[in-house]
Amino acid sequence: MFIRLVKFAWKIIWRNGRRTVITGLAVGLGLGSMMFTEALMQGMAAHMIQTTTESWMGDAQIHRDGFPDTRNINLTINRLDSMLSMLDGDSTVSSFTARILSPASVTSTTELKPVTLIGVDSKTDPEVTMLEAAVDTGSYLSGESTEIIIGYKLADDLNAGLGDVIIITVAQADSGLSSSMFFVSGICRFGSDNLDRYSAFVNLTTAGVMLGIPGEIHEIAVQFPQAEMGADISLGFRRKFTAFSNTALGWPELAPQVGSMLSMVNISMAIMAAILFGLVVFGIVNSLFMSVFERMYEFGVMKAVGTRTGTISTMVILEAFWIAVISTVMGSAIGLLIIWITTGTGISFGEIEVSGIIFDKPIYPVLRLSRIWLYPLFTLILTTAAGIYPGIHAGRLNPAEAMRKSL
Amino acid sequence: MTDNDVIVAEGVVKTYDDSGVPVHAIRGIDYTLAKGEFTAIIGPSGSGKTTFLNVLAGLDTPTEGEVWLSGKLISDMSGKELSDFRRDHIGFIFQAYNLFPVLTAEENVEYVMLLQGIPPGERHERVMAILKKVGIAEYAGRLPMQLSGGQQQRVAVARAMVSRPSLVIADEPTANLDSKTSGALLDMMRRLNEETGVTFLFSTHDEIVMKRARKIVVLRDGKIDGKASLEDC
Repeated sequence: MFIRLVKFAWKIIWRNGRRTVITGLAVGLGLGSMMFTEALMQGMAAHMIQTTTESWMGDAQIHRDGFPDTRNINLTINRLDSMLSMLDGDSTVSSFTARILSPASVTSTTELKPVTLIGVDSKTDPEVTMLEAAVDTGSYLSGESTEIIIGYKLADDLNAGLGDVIIITVAQADSGLSSSMFFVSGICRFGSDNLDRYSAFVNLTTAGVMLGIPGEIHEIAVQFPQAEMGADISLGFRRKFTAFSNTALGWPELAPQVGSMLSMVNISMAIMAAILFGLVVFGIVNSLFMSVFERMYEFGVMKAVGTRTGTISTMVILEAFWIAVISTVMGSAIGLLIIWITTGTGISFGEIEVSGIIFDKPIYPVLRLSRIWLYPLFTLILTTAAGIYPGIHAGRLNPAEAMRKSL
Repeated sequence: MTDNDVIVAEGVVKTYDDSGVPVHAIRGIDYTLAKGEFTAIIGPSGSGKTTFLNVLAGLDTPTEGEVWLSGKLISDMSGKELSDFRRDHIGFIFQAYNLFPVLTAEENVEYVMLLQGIPPGERHERVMAILKKVGIAEYAGRLPMQLSGGQQQRVAVARAMVSRPSLVIADEPTANLDSKTSGALLDMMRRLNEETGVTFLFSTHDEIVMKRARKIVVLRDGKIDGKASLEDC
């Protein structure tokens, strides 16, 4: 009997094929746009993480306990040699690089600006960060003690160009002051205000000497094969390298604003999904009620010849199920097609800045495999469930009344 | 109620109160229908024919009174019991549009047996036999819209008869048919009545139908006005 009802319901929805197609298309467009929006949001999230981790931060970092909060230059990595040899032998780590960080002031012939002086290992840094690639004028660090790379915004602020002299002044570990003269060897463009306006990059050894901490470092930036591993607290990395009074942190802790943005994206998607699926449910209920009211006499006859309430309700719910199947197929096709097209072309938003991260390149939607079946499954379940109310209504019709009212 | 009675109605009253103004469709009817009868209920429009048939068939509940059908008090049955009772004991023929448009003639006739849980082989056999009996076996695979009005009503008769009910109730079965087709349909119903012994009760204001009825019940203003055989009319 159930199989016959399934076939019966399939035939019924095509009695008014135009309405079925329009309803299916409306639901399908909702599903398709949901899938696309989700993929776009994932693309934006991936871009944010990529910009944050690949440009400079790395997927994880190791510091001496207390350094991230205080920026105290005396808090250098403890037992550095042991930590470096552990990192060398760790299979989960793709690459790593050491850094020195210190508040500093930079003076040009006309201006004085506060910056963070960053000492980088010019050999290992390109394996972890985009500094080398970000240099769009001049050249990357070669190891010379007087060379310095500054961001294009800082260069503007200082009225300094390539080859110009600038003075860096820092507080040393022993509380003295140290000033050094540098020649601008490169101007970089990261797309981040923090790096383009408030940072200056010199060789690691030079920074160590200036600060009076030669051979010591403040930070090790680590890169994993995948950025997600930096967010994986179950990964042994954090336990292993939170040692000798040092702490290992992943990018979500290092850049909490990115984590907040991602949470906001997820919440926005959830709200959007709730609104969209709510509209879908009401649309289907409306369409099915129209169909039920048009067939009052028929339901009256069905009940008259002995069809039970539950059978009629089941049939209407099965009609909703078939509309759900059609909608899901159409919606998935629409969504996947748009995602496939835009994954190739990308979507450019011009240059916008969100949470300090500049989106100046096209965003490529990222389709999570789980979403290929999750959203369609939701649509299928909710659309089918939307048939319950009209189904119960149809099942409870009094046969004589149904026939009387429809004549 | 005797073993020979199919329907016994006692003091049946049906009042509608849909719009706040009570409408007395049936005003206290006592009626008995014996097995094997071929009876027409006649009366002017609004006399309560359809309401009376609906109450007798258990499609509507009486406001007052009791209805016994094949020895069972149907006016007190639950919705589910009534549904099953109608499925197993009553065949229905309505004015028009009473076939399911998406099902073929064969599927329409088969429908009630599907509800009864009869195995597919037996269903097919019985469907084809009854379709042959009503003279439209060759149209078994056609949809209702591919059949004429008369052919559709023959399918409806086949559907009403296929479950071997004790009573067939027909509400204005010829309302949308021309006189020739109406006569042929009634002749066929009468033949089925004689061959199978199934009781037929139908409402009509069609003279052709009245002439073929063995008994006539006249309803006027919700009450039985007279009872007479065709010869008496």
